[in-house]
Amino acid sequence: MRVDRDEVRRIADLARLGIDDVEVDRLTDEMNRILEYANRLRGVEGEPEAPEMNDPHDAGVSGGTRSIEVERPDALSDGIASFAPQEADGFFVVPPLPGMSEDRKRGQPEVDG
Amino acid sequence: MQAFRGAVDRIREAEYGPRGLNAFLRLSDKSDTDVSAEGALARVPIAVKDNMATLDMPTTCGSKVLEGYRSPFEATVVRRLREEGAWIVGKTNLDEFGMGSSTENSAFGPTLNPHDPGRVPGGSSGGSAAAVAAGYVTMALGSDTGGSVRQPAAFCGVVGIKPTYGRVSRYGLVAFASSLDQVGTLGRTVEDAARLLEVVAGHDPRDATSVDRPVPALAEAAAEGVEGLVIGVPQEYFPDSLDSELLERTNRVLGGLEELGAELRPVSLPNTELAIPCYYVLAPAEASSNLSRYDGVRYGVRHSGDDIQGMYERTRSEGLGAEVKRRIMLGTYALSAGYYDQYYGAAQKARVRIENDFRRVFQEGVDVLFTPTTPGPAFPLGERTADPVSMYLSDVYTVTANLAGIPAISVPIGVVDGLPVGGQILAPWWRETLMIAVAGTIERQMQESES
Repeated sequence: MRVDRDEVRRIADLARLGIDDVEVDRLTDEMNRILEYANRLRGVEGEPEAPEMNDPHDAGVSGGTRSIEVERPDALSDGIASFAPQEADGFFVVPPLPGMSEDRKRGQPEVDG
Repeated sequence: MQAFRGAVDRIREAEYGPRGLNAFLRLSDKSDTDVSAEGALARVPIAVKDNMATLDMPTTCGSKVLEGYRSPFEATVVRRLREEGAWIVGKTNLDEFGMGSSTENSAFGPTLNPHDPGRVPGGSSGGSAAAVAAGYVTMALGSDTGGSVRQPAAFCGVVGIKPTYGRVSRYGLVAFASSLDQVGTLGRTVEDAARLLEVVAGHDPRDATSVDRPVPALAEAAAEGVEGLVIGVPQEYFPDSLDSELLERTNRVLGGLEELGAELRPVSLPNTELAIPCYYVLAPAEASSNLSRYDGVRYGVRHSGDDIQGMYERTRSEGLGAEVKRRIMLGTYALSAGYYDQYYGAAQKARVRIENDFRRVFQEGVDVLFTPTTPGPAFPLGERTADPVSMYLSDVYTVTANLAGIPAISVPIGVVDGLPVGGQILAPWWRETLMIAVAGTIERQMQESES
C-alpha cells in the first residue's frame, strides 16, 4: 500500500496539520518508506489463546482493574483558578476564537494567547 | 550513593561553557540546603526528564508548542522524589514528546554524548543519560516507550531500567503512547538505578494503569548472585549482521555468568521480526490521538488563523517538529477508515504474538533473557536524521519489552570502537529483582576485569 500526495493532504487535514507543498512531497516519500516497512505486518494471524503463567497474579499488559472509588484529582483541590487566568461558573474563560460571531465574543476577556 | 554540594553551579558552568552538552533545558534555583536532609534520597542530586510535570520549573517536552508551559500540578514520581528528600537539580533535554532515538528531535537543540561530542547520546531520554554519565547528577528519571531509557543508557555507559508496565505511576508524565509509556530510572550503578526505582514505584490511584502490588527491595537485589538462574539467549537478537566486537562483549558476559552458576539456554522468540513494524504503527497511532490536545486552545503556544481550523493548523504546524508531525501523520493514516484493519488491527495481533513469545519462554523455565541493548554503539550526530527507518531500527532490541509490558534493564558491558555498549536483561512481569541481580553481577564482573 502506497500513499500519494492527495492522500497525504487528506491525512494532514484529518490531523489538523497545515503542510505546504514541500512538506507534502517530503511526507509522501517518508510515509511510503515507513509503510513499506509496516507492510511486513500483512497477513499476521491473531493468537487468541495466551499461554498461562505460573504466577496467578500476573496481569501482563492488561494491568489490574481499577477500584470503584474515584479520587478527586489533587490538581483541582487547589482551585480551578490555578489552571487559567479566568473562570466563570466552573468553566475556563478563553480568548475569543477566530470566526466566532461578535455576539458570542462579548463578555470574553481581552487575553492574547 | 554520592551527594555533592554546589552541583547546580558546577552544571551551569559546564553546560554554558564551550564544551556544554545541552543536557539540561532548565536548572533549578534551589540548592541542596533548600531540600530536606531526611529520606531515602536526602539531598541526592537528581535530574528529571522534561516530560514530567514539576511546579517549580516549566515542562516543555522539548517542544516549541509547550515553550515556557508550567503545569498546575506535579507528577506523582516527582512528588515521591521530593518526599524522600531528593534535590531535583533540573529538567533534561529529550526528543520532542519522547519521539526519537538520538535527542536530535528536541526543539531546543541536540544533546551531545559525553564520551564523544560528535555522537548522539541516544534518546529520547538523552539529556538524562548524558547528565548521569557526565557526573552532573547521581541519578535521573527518564521515560521509556520503545527503549528511551535503555538505549541512551547504553550509548552513554550508564545503567537504565524500564520497569513492568503499571509498576510506576504515569500521572503527570506527558502522554506519548499510553499503552507503552513507562517512567524509568538511570544511575551510575545498578544499585543507584534500582534505589531510585524503589522510591518512585508503587500504586497510584491517579493512574488507572498503575497496579496495586507491593514493591520489592530492588536496591538490595543488586547485590544478589545468579547461581541456579536460567538465562535465555534469544537467537533473533544475535543475527549474523551483529557487530562482531559487540558479539564478543556479549559472549564474554554470558561466559562470566555461566562461571558463576547460571545456566545458559538458547531460545527462540519467533515473532521478534514483527516488533519494529508493530511498534511504528501502534506508537504513532496512540500519539496521533494523545497529541490532538496541542491545538492552541488549551496549552502553550497559539498561532492565529483565519478561522478555528486555520488556527489549529497554524498552531500545530509551527509548534510541532518534523518527527512529531511524521508520527501524527502515520498514526492518523493507520487509524483512518479503510486502513485500520490492515495496519492498526494487524499491529495489535502482532503485539499479542510478541507478548506470547515471552510468556512461552518464561513458562518453560527461563528466568531472564540476555541480549545486546542496541545493535551497535552511539552513532554520529546527523547520520540518521534523514532516514526515519534507519533511526527506528536503533530500537530493534528494546521495543519488544514495551510491547509485552515486561521489565528490562541495560547495564554497561564494555566498549566497542572506544564507545560504551550495553547488555539488556529482560525479566517476566513484576520480576525486576531477577534482572537487577543479573545486572549487578555483570557490573561486578566488569569492575573486576578492569582492575
